[in-house]
Amino acid sequence: MINFENASVTYPGGVHALRHVTLEIPAGQLMVIVGLSGAGKSTLIRAINGLVPLTDGDVIVDGVSVRSAKAGDLRRLRSKIGMIFQTFNLVKRTTVLNNVLMGRLHATGTARSLLGWYRPADVEIAMQALERVDIVEKAYVRAANLSGGQQQRVGIARALAQEPRFLLADEPVASLDPPTSHVVMRDLQRINRDLGITTIVNLHFLDLAKVYGERIIGLRAGELVYDGNAAHADEHVFRDIYGRSLTADDVLEAKPVV
Amino acid sequence: MTAAADARSRPAKPRPSLAVPLGIVSFLVITWLAVSREFGIGLDVGELIGNLTRIEGLLWRVSTDQADRGLLNPNWPFLPQTAEPMLETLQMAVIASAIGCGLALPIAFFVSRVTTPNAGVFNAGRSVLSVIRAIPDILYALIFIAALGVGPLPGILALIFFNVGVVVKLLSETVDGVDVGPIEAGRASGASRAQTVRWAVMPQVLPNYVAYSLYVFELNIRASTVLGIVGAGGIGRILYREYSLFHWSNLSVVIVEVFVFVILIEFVSIWLRRRLV
Amino acid sequence: MTVASPRTSRPTRPSHAKRNLGVLFVVLLIGWSLVSIDIRYERLVDFPRGLWLVIYKMYFEHGPDLGYLGISLEFMLDSIWIAWIGTIIGAIFSLPIGFIAAKNVSSGLIANAMRQFLNAIRAFPELVLAVAIFVPIAGLGPVAGALAIGVHSIGTLGKLTAEVIEGIDSGPVEAVRAAGGRWAQIQRWGVLPQVLPDVVAFWLYRFEINVRAAAILGIVGAGGIGFIIEQTIRFGRFPRAGTALLVVILATIVVDTGSGWVRRRIIEGAEKKAVAAEVFERIDVAGQPV
Repeated sequence: MINFENASVTYPGGVHALRHVTLEIPAGQLMVIVGLSGAGKSTLIRAINGLVPLTDGDVIVDGVSVRSAKAGDLRRLRSKIGMIFQTFNLVKRTTVLNNVLMGRLHATGTARSLLGWYRPADVEIAMQALERVDIVEKAYVRAANLSGGQQQRVGIARALAQEPRFLLADEPVASLDPPTSHVVMRDLQRINRDLGITTIVNLHFLDLAKVYGERIIGLRAGELVYDGNAAHADEHVFRDIYGRSLTADDVLEAKPVV
Repeated sequence: MTAAADARSRPAKPRPSLAVPLGIVSFLVITWLAVSREFGIGLDVGELIGNLTRIEGLLWRVSTDQADRGLLNPNWPFLPQTAEPMLETLQMAVIASAIGCGLALPIAFFVSRVTTPNAGVFNAGRSVLSVIRAIPDILYALIFIAALGVGPLPGILALIFFNVGVVVKLLSETVDGVDVGPIEAGRASGASRAQTVRWAVMPQVLPNYVAYSLYVFELNIRASTVLGIVGAGGIGRILYREYSLFHWSNLSVVIVEVFVFVILIEFVSIWLRRRLV
Repeated sequence: MTVASPRTSRPTRPSHAKRNLGVLFVVLLIGWSLVSIDIRYERLVDFPRGLWLVIYKMYFEHGPDLGYLGISLEFMLDSIWIAWIGTIIGAIFSLPIGFIAAKNVSSGLIANAMRQFLNAIRAFPELVLAVAIFVPIAGLGPVAGALAIGVHSIGTLGKLTAEVIEGIDSGPVEAVRAAGGRWAQIQRWGVLPQVLPDVVAFWLYRFEINVRAAAILGIVGAGGIGFIIEQTIRFGRFPRAGTALLVVILATIVVDTGSGWVRRRIIEGAEKKAVAAEVFERIDVAGQPV
């Protein structure tokens, strides 16, 4: 369970990225965050694993306070939180398997990890993660030789290899085409249901948000302005969150207005 | 479009900056100072050309002494005496390159903006690096010979210091330019700093690292041929000895050897680089 | 894509036979060198103490020898002049030679021959050139040093210049040719503007390296501070050697910083100029603002 308690983030330049957000995310939920660029979606997600430090308030993850966590505690916490990124963030020059094995680093001693001698059990976990996203045949292929969709699936496998309790996805499909986006979103949905991993996804395609989210929250200028069931979120709701009328850029597959 | 265009006037040509003429003037002044006799080195081209006739005795000479027939008459029987020092030169270069490049890899991560643990280490490291790079390899050799005595050991140590300076500078600049995305992913997964550097940064710079190592190996080969001049092992000792004895024919053999040696290594290095890419 | 989908079988680990063989060879080479070289490794333990002793004698035993500062600066200045002139010689000759050695500008055969010639020159360390050729010609002193550095620089700069020329964008070259330019004009207006910033940056970088080379040449009598460092160490006058060493370090750092600054401004200036030139072009060519 994740608890935001009046969490605020102000960047050094004076930008109020997050304002007094209070939120409770129960275990096993698939929550989608929507909002304009700069509304605070990325900041909110990164506040959960401490990549962005809070300036006020706190975020409690499974009883651990992110703000007061010291280095070692923070690393332990992060090992339970998998993250996937809009730009995939894979190491292009090395193999898919090596990328996924990065998810096992938190459980590997320094000497072993520097030499690359992962335990067979860890390699097995990595392979299983690759199988779960159906890309194991590319295990020894260089990451640079994969398509965008394939790279994102490797990113998901890397996060899964951590055997996490939480999964954070920062605009996971923004760089992908529609069919591939659906594949990735379906993977996330499946992982959430089968493994019970609490999943939080930033999306700026509203049609995807409605289809794949259980719960949708909306951010505007760093503030929480909507929190409800995905089924109840319609055009009016989104327009309120965005503060403007919707355009074709806000949906993945614009349906012709006939 | 013509009617509208006539209404707008052409922009004024920007005033040429002062920098270029200023640069050229200071350049000329410095050069004039440099060649002058009072301040500089006293370069007299006429005198030089006159001296060219001196070469003749240098290049070719009739003499009973096999070692002294001029640069164009290499004294091949001298070759075997140079074999061992030549081998020592190669060994010095290999050892110094291996140790120097090995040390330079972790050090580079400490002096790169992207992977340094904190500002203190970064700044201290950068300053020390500037000083280390400012001392030429042979000066290191002189100092280390004063500390250890003559022989190849001070030579190897001198090359190591020199190596580390060059590779750390090159490598840290490469690390400065890496893609930081994988680093964020590494930290987000709970990996330690060292693990993140090893798996998110190192794979990105490894090809460059190998290229720099090969480059530095070539530099070391060239340097180790002359370190012997001050007593730090290798063929340089023989080179200087024959030179001071005016044994031009022997010197010629050594020069050809050095030349062939360097060219060979360069071919190997080019071949290796092509296969690695 | 459901859980029940048939499992694709896992791929086998690829073997890296060639790479492993190469690594093995390198390791063996290093091992052989370590073992067969004639060194008593026990001497290594004396290194920290010996080094500290030298530093102590240079700076702390009788305090630093500030009186020697004047002579040190004088000799260092000589080294800088040597590097300066050597670099100029290298720059002046390497520019045309670079054009001749570039495959896309001159004929393939000539370019190749010139490349080999440049490789030949580059293979000789400056010290060897000084010792074997230039001291005999010009006598002992800084002129020999400047010439040695100059000739070696022609080799390195020539190769780098040729590589830069080979890497240019052919667009501007075709433009000049299409406008009816002769070979020399094509080089002057199509090639030169593209390569000049990089080439000048190389000249400056070479100058930095040459300062270090020039500092050494004094050891063989080709002028510069190397001479007094070698002499003072040989005769045990460590405080003087210490002062001279300090002068070398400081002068080199100053040269590096200054040269680096100029280099950065040239590269930045080139980018700014390219943008400005483009704007002007769009106005002049049409005869009216675009």
